[in-house]
Formats: sequence, C-alpha cells, structure tokens
Amino acid sequence: MSVETKSSNKVLEAVTAAIEKYGAKQEELIPILNEVNRQLGYIPTEAMEEISRRLKEPKSSLFGVASFYHMLSTKPRGRHVIQFCESAPCHVVGGREVFEALKEELGLEPNETTPDGKWTLITTSCLGVCSVGPVIVIDDDIYGNVDARKVPEILARYE
Amino acid sequence: MVQIKINGIELDVPKGTTVLEAAEKAGITIPTLCYHKDLSPYGGCRLCIVEVKGGRVPMTSCTLPVENGMEVQTETETLHKSRRTILELLLSTYYDSGYAQKDEHPNELEHWAKAYGLDMKAFMAEKPRYEINSDPNPFVWVDLNKCILCGRCVRACAEVQGRFVWGLSERGYEARIVAGLDEPMLEARCESCGACVAYCPTGALDNKMSVGLGAPDKVVRTTCSYCGVGCQFDLNVKDGKIIRVTSTPEGPVNGMRLCVKGRYGYDYVHHPDRLTQPMVREYLLKGETRKDKKNRGEWVAVEWETALNIVANKLNQIRSESGADSIGVLTSAKCTNEENYLMNKFARQVLGTNNIDHCARLCHASTVAGLAIAYGSGAMSNTMQDIVENAKAIFVTGSNTTEQHPVFGTMIRQAVLKRGVKLIIADPRRIDLVDFATLHLQQKPGTDIALLNGIMNIILEKGWADEQFIAERTEGFDEFKANLQNYPPEKVAEITGVPIEKLYQAAEIMGTCKPMAAFWAMGITQHIVGVQNVLTLANLQMLLGNMGVPGGGVNPLRGQNNVQGACDMGGLPNVYPGYQPVTSDAAREKFETAWGVPLSPKPGMTVTEMIPAAAEGKIRALYILGENPVMTDPDVNHVRHCLEELEFLVLQEIFPSETSVYADVLLPGVSFAEKEGTFTNTERRIQHVRKAVEPVGQARPDWEIISDLARRVITLGGRKPSSAPQAGWQYASPAEIMDEVASVTPSYAGVSFERLDRGENLHWPVKGYDHPGTPILHIGQFTRGKGLFSPTTDVPPAEKPDTEFPMLMNTGRVIYHWHGGEMTRRAKGLLEVYPKPLIELNPEDALRIGINGNRRVRVTSRRGSIVSEAWVTDRVPEGMVYANFHFPEANANELTIAALDPIAKIPEFKITAVKVELADE
Repeated sequence: MSVETKSSNKVLEAVTAAIEKYGAKQEELIPILNEVNRQLGYIPTEAMEEISRRLKEPKSSLFGVASFYHMLSTKPRGRHVIQFCESAPCHVVGGREVFEALKEELGLEPNETTPDGKWTLITTSCLGVCSVGPVIVIDDDIYGNVDARKVPEILARYE
Repeated sequence: MVQIKINGIELDVPKGTTVLEAAEKAGITIPTLCYHKDLSPYGGCRLCIVEVKGGRVPMTSCTLPVENGMEVQTETETLHKSRRTILELLLSTYYDSGYAQKDEHPNELEHWAKAYGLDMKAFMAEKPRYEINSDPNPFVWVDLNKCILCGRCVRACAEVQGRFVWGLSERGYEARIVAGLDEPMLEARCESCGACVAYCPTGALDNKMSVGLGAPDKVVRTTCSYCGVGCQFDLNVKDGKIIRVTSTPEGPVNGMRLCVKGRYGYDYVHHPDRLTQPMVREYLLKGETRKDKKNRGEWVAVEWETALNIVANKLNQIRSESGADSIGVLTSAKCTNEENYLMNKFARQVLGTNNIDHCARLCHASTVAGLAIAYGSGAMSNTMQDIVENAKAIFVTGSNTTEQHPVFGTMIRQAVLKRGVKLIIADPRRIDLVDFATLHLQQKPGTDIALLNGIMNIILEKGWADEQFIAERTEGFDEFKANLQNYPPEKVAEITGVPIEKLYQAAEIMGTCKPMAAFWAMGITQHIVGVQNVLTLANLQMLLGNMGVPGGGVNPLRGQNNVQGACDMGGLPNVYPGYQPVTSDAAREKFETAWGVPLSPKPGMTVTEMIPAAAEGKIRALYILGENPVMTDPDVNHVRHCLEELEFLVLQEIFPSETSVYADVLLPGVSFAEKEGTFTNTERRIQHVRKAVEPVGQARPDWEIISDLARRVITLGGRKPSSAPQAGWQYASPAEIMDEVASVTPSYAGVSFERLDRGENLHWPVKGYDHPGTPILHIGQFTRGKGLFSPTTDVPPAEKPDTEFPMLMNTGRVIYHWHGGEMTRRAKGLLEVYPKPLIELNPEDALRIGINGNRRVRVTSRRGSIVSEAWVTDRVPEGMVYANFHFPEANANELTIAALDPIAKIPEFKITAVKVELADE
C-alpha cells in the first residue's frame, strides 16, 4: 500500500491548529477530530494520543467517538474519499446501481483503498440531501441525482 | 418516602430509589445483565424491563426512579416474551468455545437463557468472530466472542478503578469493547487490577492464570498479605493449591476492589523456591566453629528437632557468655499479630533483652515518634472510608498512593470524580495521582518543613486558622506561631522551588475546604528530619482544627500488611505491646507479673543500630523473622559486611532470600495462606487471616516455630520463668495467643477471634469485649490530653548534590512489586509485566547524558554503583532519578546512605547524591 502515513510534525501541527480553533474542551471533541481528519485524511494514533493528553479525555472514549462516525477514519485513506449514501431514500431511487458502478470503476469494496492511494470508498448513512438522491460525496464536493453512467465522468474530475 | 406497588405488593421506599432496587427490597428478582449495584445504571441490555400501569411501553427498571402511586408488574406474558427475544438476540452474536466450562464461572447470560427456556447451543452464533485470548496482558483473558456489550467493564474501569482503559468502539454489528486506542491493555494504561474481570457477567474477560483450572474445592475468606490497606478476598483452593483470587462485595475495606498484586500476585505461595525443610550449616552439625567469615559453608537439610536444638543451645550459650543484650531479634511486619506478640515475648521474656525491632524502623518510625510527641498516639487517626466519604479536601504528601496503596488510591480518585474533593499533592515527582489533583506542589526534595511552614504562615495571615480549636485543645501555639514568621512566602518559594502563587492557592484550599485529611508515607518519614516533618504535619492539622473530626485527621499510610500490628505487639525496642514503655516501672512490673521473669528497663537497639553493632561484636546473634535487610536496609554493602562479621544468624523465612547467604540456620515458615491469625491494617482495623492451604513440605506456621524454640531455650534453664499466668508457651491456636494479647494490651483488650468472625469491625483501641472499637482517634481530647504544637526548622539533607555527585536519587517501589521483591519476583505475571529494575530519568537529563538506544545507565553514589535501564519520563523532575529496591541486580540500597533521624533512627532513604552516566554494556 502506498497510502501515506503522516509524519510526527504534521500530526502535531494539525492537532495544535484544531485545538486552537475549537478550544481544549471535551465538548469540542467531534469538531477537533473532524478538523484533524480533514487536514490529514485520517486521525493517526499519535494525533489521538495528543488530543487525549490535551483535552484530558481518556483514549478509550476518544477512540469510541472516532470509530463511531463514518466521516472519521483511524486508518490512512486515499487522497480522495468517496462517501456513498446507503440510506433508504437514495436506495429507492437507484442508489444500488450507482454503488455497483463505483465499485466496478474503482475495483474496490467498501472501506478499501486503491493500490495507487488515490481513492477510498466508504458507505455512509443519510447525508440530508435526500431530495437529490442518489447522492455521493467526494471529499467536500456533493453530487446529487447521480446515475451509474455519470460515475466515470465525475471521477475523472479528480487528480 | 414514595409509595409504590410491585406485583401487587405495596412498598414504601425512599425517593430516588429505582424500581429495580425497590423490587429487590421486596424480594422480587428482576433479570438483569448490564446492571450492577456498584455501577451507574446503563439500561443497555433491556432485560430488566417492567410494565408500569399507564405506561406506553415497557421500561428498564434499573434506570426508572420510583414515583408515588406507581403500579409495576415485573412478570407478565408480554415481558416474558420480550425478555426471551432479547436473550435470543444477545445469543445471536455470542459464541462460547467451551474452554472454561469446568471452571463453573458464574455466567449470568447462561443463567437467564436457561431461566427463559433457551438452549444456549441452539441459539448462539454459528462461529466465533474474534480471536480467543486476544490481549497479551498476563492477567486478563479477553474473549470478545463472549462479550454481550453490557459495558460493565467500561464502567468498572471508570467508576471503580478510575483508569478509563475500556471503551466501546464502532457501531451496530461491528461494535466491540476496546482498550484505549484499540491497543494492548497495558499500553492503554491498564494497571491489571482485574476489576473488569470481576464485573464481567459472561467470562468474556476472565482471569488468565485461572482459565481452565476448574472449580474450587473450597473458598476461604482472608486478608491480603501485601500492603497496609488490608483488602479481604476469597482464596479459591483446589487440590491444596490456590487457583484464583476472587473479590467479594463483603470486603470491609475494599469491597470488589483489588490491585494487581492482591488479585494476581498469589502464585509465590506455591513457588518451587519455597523453603520446605530446616537447614543448618555443616559446621554446626560437626560441632565446629565457623572457619571463614565470608563463607559459612554448606547447607545441610535437617529435622526440626536438630535445627531448633542448635538454635536454642547457641542462643543460650551466647547469652550466658555475653548477656542477653548481645542478641538481637527482628520481628516481621509480614507476619501476624500473634506471631509478633510471641517474638516480643521471646526477646523480652525468654532471652531477657529489649533488642527487638522490625522494618517499621525503616518506614514509619518517625511517624510513631512524631505523633506520640504531638498527640500521644502514633497511628492513622481516621478510617479510609470516613475520609473518602467526608473529607472536603485531601492533602497527600510523600505518598504515591495509587501505586503503593493502590486500592485506597482508587478510592481517592473516585472521591475526586464523584464528590469533587479538592486534592492537593505535594511531591517532587509527578506521580499518577497528579492527574486527579487540583494542585500539585512540586517541592525540591527535603524541603517539606519549609513548604508546610510557609503554607501555615499564609493560613494564619489570612485568618483561616481554627482559633477555637487551638485555644481549647492545644498547647505551645505561641512559640509555634513565632517560628512561622521565619517562613515568609518569598523565602519559602526560594527554598522549595514552589511558586508563591501556588503557596497561596494551597493555603486557600486548606483554609477554606474543611475538613481536610492529610496523608503521608515514606516521602515524609525517610529523612534525617523525619520526626520534624511529622510534627509539622501534626501542627498543620491542629492549626486547621482538622483533628478528631470525620473526614480529617493525620493519616500515615502504613506500608506492610501488618506493620501497624507489629508495632502494636511490641515489636519495637522501647515499648511492650500497646506502646507501654519499657522504662515505665508500672508497665514493666505488669509484664514481669504476667510473664514471670524480671525484665530489662533499658530500651533496646533499633534495627539500624543492631546491624552495625554486629560488625563491632556488640551483637553476636540475630534471630530474624521474615525480613531481608540485604535488600531493604540502607547502604547494603555495609549491611553485608556486618552480617559477614555476625557470629550467628537464624533466619525464619519462606524463601532463600538474599539475606540467607549470611544465615547459619534457616527455619522454613509459611505464607499468609497457610496459617491463622490477624493483621492490623493502616487504619488500626484488626482482621482475620485464615488458613486456606496446608504448609508446604515440613514448613510450619511461624507461631508454632517461635513457641517451640521458646520452650527449648527455657528448658536449658538459663532464665526460668515462674508459674505466672502468661508465662507459658503452650498455645493450642492463634486465637489463644490473641486472648493473651488482649489480657496485657489495653488497646486490644476487647479483641478476639470470635468477635472478628461475627463480622465486627474493630479498630483499636478496643477497650473491652463490649467496647465497639475506635474508628476515629482524638475526638474531644488527644491521647496525651492537649495537642502539642512544636516549632520546626528546615534542615538540609545529610547529603547534598555537589560537583562529583550532582544529582539526587529518590527511592521507592513500583505498583507491580513489593519491597525486596522476594514474593513478587516469584509471581510469574508480575515479573512478566515488570521484569527488571528501571531507573526513572527526566528527558532533559537523558538528553544531557546522551541516552542512546540501549538506555543503560550507571548510577553511582559514595557507597556503591548500579547499572540498569533508564525509563525516560517526566515523572521525575530534572536533576532527580528514582530507583527501586525490588531487584538484587540493581538495588537502590547499594547507594543509599545510613544517615539517621536522631529521634526515630530512620535512615534518609529518600535523598542520595549520585552521578548518572551512560553505561558501557
């Protein structure tokens, strides 16, 4: 796997920035984790150790939060993360076909990363934009009314 | 009170009671899995659902508070069906491979599944999802296939132990418990206390040392043999061996809590190194004298008859040649009260000397002396439970409580978490408890007097002193007050290194959060100013009026399981049992009458005097019970020299210890599991120790050995007692010895095995068989009448850093080991977790020294040198290293100095000037 793990300095910088942004408060744990995840692509162990120390929050409860939410990852991911909505409203309007197309195009099963480290495919529950389902989210970009034929074109937009 | 009806039964219960608790009171059982009375209610397993009249859906009774007029049904057809479905669902993700079936481990899931007519095998998952025994922790067995996500382990770790190792991760079908960041338990800061195991309802977490060993033949409730907290637990015995330790909610001090040593450090009892037969040196059998000082010759295993006769003859001979004071006796804080009483009687009655002492000299001699001066009684004044329930503030100084008294440490953590108690730590090291503290005062080593005087100066200035208490209950205040003027904050900050604002913060917490309980241990006592340190703490608690009240008091934490008892039983050179001075004519006459011999009015030698006296020939023989001075005394290089010079050493032990090399006779005693007796814990609570297994080999209970030896020495005729009431040595049982103790010891006058077995909680003084004991001392009046303020002055340590030895070494213990390590180095799991001595070194010092990959360092003092691995950590401040005395290969006591407190004769273990270098190898 050529997925990049982050160096100590980068991790510390990201943690410091996130804590400065939201404050070293336990109630800001989710925004802090989200910010670190956004900066580094995932939340490295070292980052969780550091957040645990600074927020005085036990490592176990921190890991509980980080592993509960699909938007957060405790393992390295590809450069681009595709979140596919697997909730019912997307499913009934053709989500299943879109998901099949994604898997075929990328050669991935959910929670896998392409060997070149470009793509990670994950499933997520409702993203709250059911009116335009099926929905996928790539990094921070939301795509609505996706159908299977549009998938290659959408993917082609990413380096 | 709230009135409710459960299954038609009308009940009055207090407000805040849950429906589950109310049902329990009415004798109605509601099935539960995630519920445990010690833990906060969770409502996760849904098994305890009940129907409430007018309620839309069934509700979980463990989280449902009672309301007036509530009508509850706990058993209906609907509930029965629902519970059955819940159990089916739990079983669908449960897989039991069956390896622990014969352990008869109580499995609550199995119990309820059967009760609801479910066949476990038919309903459980088809195959396991997780690796069995998936964590490398040597004590805790993890099998997530048997986990039902009840979260009891998660809550036990947080709410009982205060360690927060376990959490819940992922969600849905993937949900599972994890340690820390999904890492091995030990890396997630687990202390291996086993609380999670004790609370697990299914055996998903189990005792690794015991899995598959089967069900016990018998279960024996007894008292732990490690520290002074005095936890009780059940020894599970099968085929004459201890197969596991289980905690019990009935433990009077600890409940379900235990520490890693208590729960998992028992296998030393059956270790192959145990001494199983008496041994004597060959020269003794041949009737020769010892030829070589350095080599005592070969050991020969002999019968008890031979060994005891040799000892009796030799002691008798030395006494007739050089007098009784040429013999010394070291009794043992690991042994029972009854045995310590006998050792005291042996020295004083049989031999005729007051040369008796024990390791209390090395730990709390300064406490006993200091508190005797200030208050007239030298023991912990309040109980642990009282303090965690009633104190508003807790001051801990020189005690690494969570490692040395781990179970009490967890109680302090919970007092902080649950009651918001203000915790002040004064310690040069950043100990674990600092994580829970409101304030950490990191004073320079050896500046305790300046620190406390400085804080008291501020307390007085701010008007936080308890003037009424001072006026009514104390004396010597004016002199004390005048002395405080020498400790203005600026000067104190300079001496101690503690910033002025922290001095003020400490004074404010102490002055405004009353009652405050003060705790200390070796960090206070093991100094040349040990007694002065203790007097200063005694001053503090009088100044604040914290004496004789619940939640306050002076609370020296005693180290050994029975060091309190060994002191109480006269294991000290200056007092008979119950601290009756040997110099008091009345006390002496009393014991002369009881024991039927004239007694010596001269206080004897301390252990720190006896051993050096051996080198000078003043002490010709030592009889040592269960102590290992070659590991635990200061400057062991000198100790070894003294013991080489000693003419005759009798060692009564369970293992061939480092000291046995210097012994002439080895008498095999037994461990706590093989005998009856009592221990007195740190809070003066007398507790029963019960025999669980038979002595190994020919080993005999120590009280039997002492009695046998006493009878033999008396028979030789040098000193025959008259037929006085307590002169004899024919004891049928330890209970009988305790009756004798009670007859001559006012503070134990009402102690008997019968009362203990009735479940009475007895804290001395117990003044008679109808006296309930005294959980809190000094109520209304101090033992000596008025409390005495003593002005104290800070004095620099005996050895200060200089250019040659620029750093300070502090010494102590670690959680996984015990003192000289004789027991814990023979407990497999403990040794696996902490296999070698580590020297704590600050990262800045490590950088300066240039610590490299192998991290080996050499620490050298004026007396010796040790090499070991450094643990680079900010637990120690810059300029300080911390080393332990658990391992002979790098024992801190090779380096320590035998500089003594002038009153208590306690050595200054805590401060040694050292240099630290990279080691070559």
